[in-house]
Amino acid sequence: MKRIWLLFLLLFLVAADIFLGSVRLPATDVWSALLGSDPQSFAYKIVWNFRIPKMLTALMAGMALSVCGVQMQTLFRNPLADPYVLGISSGAGLGVALFVMGASLFPVITALPWLSGLGTVAFAWMGALAVMMFIVAASKKMKSTMGLLVLGIMIGSAGSALIGLLQYFSDAPALKHYVLWTMGSFSNVSGHKLVIMASLCLAGLILSIRNIKDLNVFLMGQTYAESLGISTVRVRNRIFLATTLLAGSVTAFCGPIGFIGIAVPHICRMIFGNANHRTLIPASALLGAALMVLADIISQMPGSQSVLPVNTVAALMGIPVIIYILLKDKAFEL
Amino acid sequence: MKPVVQIRDLAVGYSKKEPLFQGLHENLNAGTVTGLLGPNGIGKSTLLKTLAGILTPLQGQIVAHVQQDRHRSSQLYAFVASQPPRATRFSVWDTVSTGRYRYTNWLGLKDEEGKRTVTHALKQTGTLHLAARDSAGLSDGEFHRVAIARALVQNTPLLLLDEPTAFLDIAGKRSIALLLRKLAREEEKAILFSTHDLALAKEYCDVFWVMTSDHNLHTGTPEQLQANGIIDRLYQIH
Repeated sequence: MKRIWLLFLLLFLVAADIFLGSVRLPATDVWSALLGSDPQSFAYKIVWNFRIPKMLTALMAGMALSVCGVQMQTLFRNPLADPYVLGISSGAGLGVALFVMGASLFPVITALPWLSGLGTVAFAWMGALAVMMFIVAASKKMKSTMGLLVLGIMIGSAGSALIGLLQYFSDAPALKHYVLWTMGSFSNVSGHKLVIMASLCLAGLILSIRNIKDLNVFLMGQTYAESLGISTVRVRNRIFLATTLLAGSVTAFCGPIGFIGIAVPHICRMIFGNANHRTLIPASALLGAALMVLADIISQMPGSQSVLPVNTVAALMGIPVIIYILLKDKAFEL
Repeated sequence: MKPVVQIRDLAVGYSKKEPLFQGLHENLNAGTVTGLLGPNGIGKSTLLKTLAGILTPLQGQIVAHVQQDRHRSSQLYAFVASQPPRATRFSVWDTVSTGRYRYTNWLGLKDEEGKRTVTHALKQTGTLHLAARDSAGLSDGEFHRVAIARALVQNTPLLLLDEPTAFLDIAGKRSIALLLRKLAREEEKAILFSTHDLALAKEYCDVFWVMTSDHNLHTGTPEQLQANGIIDRLYQIH
């Protein structure tokens, strides 16, 4: 029943996101644009070329990051884990930093013609993938999941240090370009980029559904999983692959969107009072999508001319919720 | 008596150079409760975890006398750790249902026997009335019964338990021991559990495996081991 409510909330916010935006459009114009009555109209172009792709991007990002956060929190049995705990965002960030700020150091970067338009995305993806491949390789040798957590944090710090170095040597415009990327944005994804992002996220979501039954076992520890005959290394790698597909893609296309991935699983556990992943995964997907779309609406500051970075909006919007949960919810524990 | 598992020339431990125990030849029989005794740190948990497929044997074989499929370890052995970790906001029913892991499809569904088996296991362990409760809210004794139920739904002929009575009060200890004996008698299960409680073990075990500090495993009925002085050696203070 609560899931139906969540679905309604999501649909309502999706509609609101299409009807509201930084350009003021009368609701009737938006409606006729949605029905496709006049493809040449101003409203049609705004709705179909800007608002709908942006809404879909926010929706997918929210879903992907929340589902990812659930899996990281369960795998590491740690309420502080988020989609980026393994260093994915640092890897992606380093890729982007190399692309944006490293061009003077490595001129070959700008000479890659196929990257036109997809440069940031491709470099972010390669960075995320490189980190994940390193983690998977280490995972074979490391039996302890906690060891992997520490390793992930170390990789994250190494990535940040290298990014810092690049920042130190880069010029002001490149630096600003990079900083803007770190603030997150849903407005650069449309057309074929949207299709690529959607396919990657869909693959990641299917894999996450496949992980549900293992995640439920993992809630009760690695020894129990092994006594059931589960190969923990294989399941761990499957979780890492889902994480790369989900968080890696979102970071590549939208930048490192924080907060949603860590908060939504906690909010869902409280609303549903249930940590069973059969409930938690779909609920987090719905709530994550809804909150991200809401953050998108707010970041447009409907009716005004300016746009806020989505990362700051998500955090300012959600942190009071989390504080409320911490104070109110006595059973807070993973 | 029908052996469920035959242990052949088994060596267990963490290094091939210094195995904790080697050359083990034993049987675990259907319908028998075996108590594993020995001082702290001697290797009781190591042996149990090796039999449960969590650790790999350094040498030797564990031969099963039941049909096997590719999920070998989960079909033969079910293992209950001494303080099994619990999940918060995870009901007793869901906890026990995870034991059906290898009987469900990739979505964790399509387990026709599932509901009936879980209900039966909850009844056997006297925890059916707790089914809807959050497992984090149970007492240690209650959750230990739930963990045993979770092991039962795996439908394995062999049940391995690491100090199932360690953190329980006297009544809790007795009721667990009684439950284990009942499961052995009624379900023809082979049960091996480690304990430090000699009095309890004497009362409820059919067979003793005693690990002594010279890295030998002595087996026999409690009476035999008492008669040849092994049990007295076990609790000597040096």
